Amino acid sequence: MTTSEEGMRRFADRLRLRAVRMVAPQGFGYLGQALSSAETFAALYTCAYRPDHDRLVVSPGHYIIAAYAAAVEVGQLPEEVLATYGQDDSDLEAIGTETSPGVDLTCGSLSQGLSAGLGFALADRIKGEAGRRVFVIASDGELEEGQTWEAAMFAAHHGLGAVTVLLDANDSQVDGPVSQITTLEPIAAKWEAFGWHAADVDGHDVARLAHALGEAALDPRPSIVVARTSTRHGLACLPEDADGHFIKLPPELADAAVRELESRLA
Amino acid sequence: MRKPPYPTVLKPYGTALLELAREREDVVCLSGDLTRQCEVDLFRDEIPERFVNTGMAEANMMGIAGAMARRGLVPFVHTFGVFATRRPFDQIVNAIAYPRLPVRIVGFMPGVSSPGGPSHQAIEDVAIMRALPGMTVIDMADAVEIRQVVRQIVDLPGPVYLRLKRGEIPVVFGDDHEFSLRHAQVLQSGGDVAIIANGMMLSSALSAAEALRDAGVGVTLVNAPVVKPFDTSTVEAVARDVRAVVTAENHTVVGGLGSAVAETLAEAGLARPLRRVGIGDTFAEGAKSAPHLFRKYGLSTQDIVDAAWDALGRGDAPPVATAASADSGEYAPV
Repeated sequence: MTTSEEGMRRFADRLRLRAVRMVAPQGFGYLGQALSSAETFAALYTCAYRPDHDRLVVSPGHYIIAAYAAAVEVGQLPEEVLATYGQDDSDLEAIGTETSPGVDLTCGSLSQGLSAGLGFALADRIKGEAGRRVFVIASDGELEEGQTWEAAMFAAHHGLGAVTVLLDANDSQVDGPVSQITTLEPIAAKWEAFGWHAADVDGHDVARLAHALGEAALDPRPSIVVARTSTRHGLACLPEDADGHFIKLPPELADAAVRELESRLA
Repeated sequence: MRKPPYPTVLKPYGTALLELAREREDVVCLSGDLTRQCEVDLFRDEIPERFVNTGMAEANMMGIAGAMARRGLVPFVHTFGVFATRRPFDQIVNAIAYPRLPVRIVGFMPGVSSPGGPSHQAIEDVAIMRALPGMTVIDMADAVEIRQVVRQIVDLPGPVYLRLKRGEIPVVFGDDHEFSLRHAQVLQSGGDVAIIANGMMLSSALSAAEALRDAGVGVTLVNAPVVKPFDTSTVEAVARDVRAVVTAENHTVVGGLGSAVAETLAEAGLARPLRRVGIGDTFAEGAKSAPHLFRKYGLSTQDIVDAAWDALGRGDAPPVATAASADSGEYAPV
């Protein structure tokens, strides 16, 4: 294992720890999204995303918890503001909004983020600002919305190779597993059929994620990294039937989660 | 002010937008597969590098436009009014209106000006756009106003919904007419009834006012293209000096100009009989021609005359408005 891989793993676990601490005061929240996307954010922030140069869209606003934690990790955001997450009058709303720091755009109404990413890429092209990359965090449930596919067709037709989607395929939506509600598979083949470069990887394997991001940067087509994940990954203390969309985290479970992550990071 | 039948011109909006874009490199043009119909073939042919055809994908189009506006561009987005407001309403809310971005949404073919049936008739677009916080909503009456509005909205903070007739655009106002985003215009004053109109119903209101004046009724006529933010002070001032108020709009009477006037009168404590000429609480239908629909759904000059007569409490028969006949290339309201 290389140092950078170990660094990414620790980035992911620190992100999990911060997310647990953000959700704990309320006793429930969007912890599952942070657990499933932790390695994706770690690889993105470590290997690809340049915050002062590139664009970052978090399409599902529920994932903003992970973006807040990652922003602290890279020094974009002071750690103490995380304590205001989801509280009254806080800029760090639990479902991301215009006040959310650390990202160029986030959307509470799902599936709108990719279109915005395309708008950023088109604006860069019109303004003659080549070289910026546009990263869009998306989730598998969002593929049920038609706007995703409008945007997918548009991006390939217009050759928007600056755009990379990181799709957190955690098979979780409000009513249960995505696969029991709508068949999305074959996900990667669908995007390939739409003219995209697609990689399908274990979303908790930082090396595979980093490699996929590197390939995406080289491919002239718009790219998608389908990250296969679990909303319980990295926290063995969670019950097996935890609702991945909205995890309950009573005080004793929160304490156990903190102990588990702190011991792994020690 | 001209008299009917009015001369018409083609593509006054498309021409004005192109002239603006020649000077302003931040102006970009988006079209949802209705490029010629929305007059922006002119833009596409001369400035293709700033023209984006998103195809029939209005949700994606609004999202792209919002992000472009975040990057300092001024997107003008074009399609028919139905597709500009109904399909991508959530995208307009979240990607444009809530972040207060300067996207200019231009919806063509208002109300029953389309004989294409309910799927193509934007009868509630003003109402739903008006309900969005910070959205400016404008319904244009003629080519003179259209030529001026494009430059007036380009630097307006926040989003704009601009509602435009498609095809031959009448020239109702004289060349000296000055369109204002802030003020409704009192075109004539009289002591009995105020008629407040906009869009395609302004020319109908002008003809109705003439018929009423000929019958001895004093008419105040107000052109109110900007439905939001609404010029309540002008409406309140003219209402104080008359006995009754009539509104006229090519739109449902729920939530548009008539509602804005009703709210203004009520909040000012002005008890004036009010009649709202517009489409009732109903969808319209497909037909061979738009004039048939204007008559069938109560949007004729005579409907305005009758509404004024009724609001004034006149028990006798109302005067009969004589409709001007229009040759090819001319426009006259029914």
